[in-house]
Amino acid sequence: MDKLLLLGMNGLIWGLIIALIALGLAVIFGLLDIINLAHGDFFMVGTVLAWATLQWTGNFWLGFLIAPLIGLLLGALIQRVVIQPIQNVAALSIVATFGLSLMLQESVRITFGPTPRRILPPIQGTIPLFGIEYELYRIFAALVAITALAAFFLFLHRTRLGTWMRAVRHDRDTAIAMGIPAHRVYLLTFAIGFALAALGGVVAAPITTVDFRGGVDILPFCFMAVIIGGLGNLPGTAAAAILLSFLEGIIQSVADPTVARIASLVLMSAVLLLRPQGLFKGFTR
Amino acid sequence: MISPATIERLLVAALAAFLLSVPWSIPALINSFWVSVIAEILIWSLLAASVNLLFGYVGLLSFGQALYFGFGMYGVAIAISDFGWSFWPAFALGIVAAVAMAVATGIFAVRLTWHYFAIITVVFSLIFYFLALTNKWLTGGDDGVNFTLPATFSIGAAQWSFTDPAFQYLFILAIVLLCFWLMHRLVNSPLGHAFLAIRNNEVRASLIGLNVYLLRLIAFALAGFLAGVSGALFAFFGRYASATYMFYHVSGEAVVWAIVGGAGTLFGPLIGTAIFIVVREIVSSHWEHHSLVVGAVAILVVIFAPRGVMGLWRDWLARLADRRVPASVEAKLRTES
Repeated sequence: MDKLLLLGMNGLIWGLIIALIALGLAVIFGLLDIINLAHGDFFMVGTVLAWATLQWTGNFWLGFLIAPLIGLLLGALIQRVVIQPIQNVAALSIVATFGLSLMLQESVRITFGPTPRRILPPIQGTIPLFGIEYELYRIFAALVAITALAAFFLFLHRTRLGTWMRAVRHDRDTAIAMGIPAHRVYLLTFAIGFALAALGGVVAAPITTVDFRGGVDILPFCFMAVIIGGLGNLPGTAAAAILLSFLEGIIQSVADPTVARIASLVLMSAVLLLRPQGLFKGFTR
Repeated sequence: MISPATIERLLVAALAAFLLSVPWSIPALINSFWVSVIAEILIWSLLAASVNLLFGYVGLLSFGQALYFGFGMYGVAIAISDFGWSFWPAFALGIVAAVAMAVATGIFAVRLTWHYFAIITVVFSLIFYFLALTNKWLTGGDDGVNFTLPATFSIGAAQWSFTDPAFQYLFILAIVLLCFWLMHRLVNSPLGHAFLAIRNNEVRASLIGLNVYLLRLIAFALAGFLAGVSGALFAFFGRYASATYMFYHVSGEAVVWAIVGGAGTLFGPLIGTAIFIVVREIVSSHWEHHSLVVGAVAILVVIFAPRGVMGLWRDWLARLADRRVPASVEAKLRTES
């Protein structure tokens, strides 16, 4: 029972972090029609930036500021150099972002090194929670992820830039006719996508390992959240990420992690086949 | 004057002649290591061709072809190391396993299209990747299964086997050329035209009476066949099979090779595969971080040749043909339009 609770909680909190990363993928996918194979590596860059910040400044908390900021800049740069020229053609974006993924991984391998490292949680200690001792940092990570998710949705619905992003996604030509600078919105969207993944990386860094291959496992999971949540359905994406990860945590309490992964994949294929429009179609809008 | 079609035919003939001469010309010109590099290119080009058959001719983007590659590989490895079978039955088991798997998963997968299809093929391949990792007794997991390869042909005391590098290369070449020839026949057959109809407009294809679901399933099975042959050849070539080759990265690489070479063209996948493997081999002997160069090549190709290398080549040929049209005819055409 304790094990179930512990793994369920772990799954839930990991799901909140994944939701953050998957949202970044979903805005890039939904708005730019870019199938971003480098998105897992954007997350990985976030974990590495968290590690680097801790090394250079001795302060982990600065990472929450620095990593998303660098993510924003890198995202804007990549959009201009790599994504803009291919004009949002999905098939080409696969090749371009695959190349990007290789380059990011290799750059990190050169600078950071090939050996995985660990970051000690900046908040040590545990708190009693429903009869188990639970790590304090994970609770904190969950709070950060929830805050970031809320901030993102507020940004999307309550600011001018957010409205522009939704307008361009809804109808690009009309949006341009109304005077919305679509190209700047594309740039911003990609940059925000990178920043969200990088932020997810900082939050996750003390929970997982910092490794130049850290994004490889994350990537399919994020894509599944995007698809199961329903293409273009951002709240659905976040909900699917949390649900998937929570279920995997629950299954892990009775089986080993690989079996849990297989079970969640089988579940996912069932959802894809029975409800290809996404699990939450009809619940929003 | 030579027409573009003739130029292409001559180039194909030159390519075939070069490939046939490899076991003798390459060791003389460079060194014998490159014979095995070219053999590897040929094998992987079949995996890229399997992606191309689905994406370039039917419009389905599969991110899970490594699954059928893996089944071809393990079919061979398990037949030889566990069952003690000889060369040809093992080859057959690898291909049958891959095609059977393609049919079994295709029944579900081809109900979906585009993004959904791409995701479900990844999901299926990941399921079997993790199964292969956990069932070490059968697959050896990450470490894989090693085996000694039985002779390919033995007539009396005479034997031909993969221990002879020239025979190994020529055998691989023969199988790969056979597959490309079959592919050529396929895309020019009524079945191939039906595939193209589905790629261009699924609704219209179904309205003229084509069974879209069944045709997609056939294409998926055929793509599984190509991937299976590729995997079986790779198992023969490396004398081992490993679960790592079933990971989605391998599928992704094949997609990249096919698109860079030119999706929807017969030789595109071969060219794309050749570019990436040659660049990797050349750079990796000088610099440890060859992935940087490989990644940059992928990005540069899509920016400057969005229809792949074959697209670039075809554009160039078309311009060449245009220039040869006599000036008077050109002027006349212009006034008419």
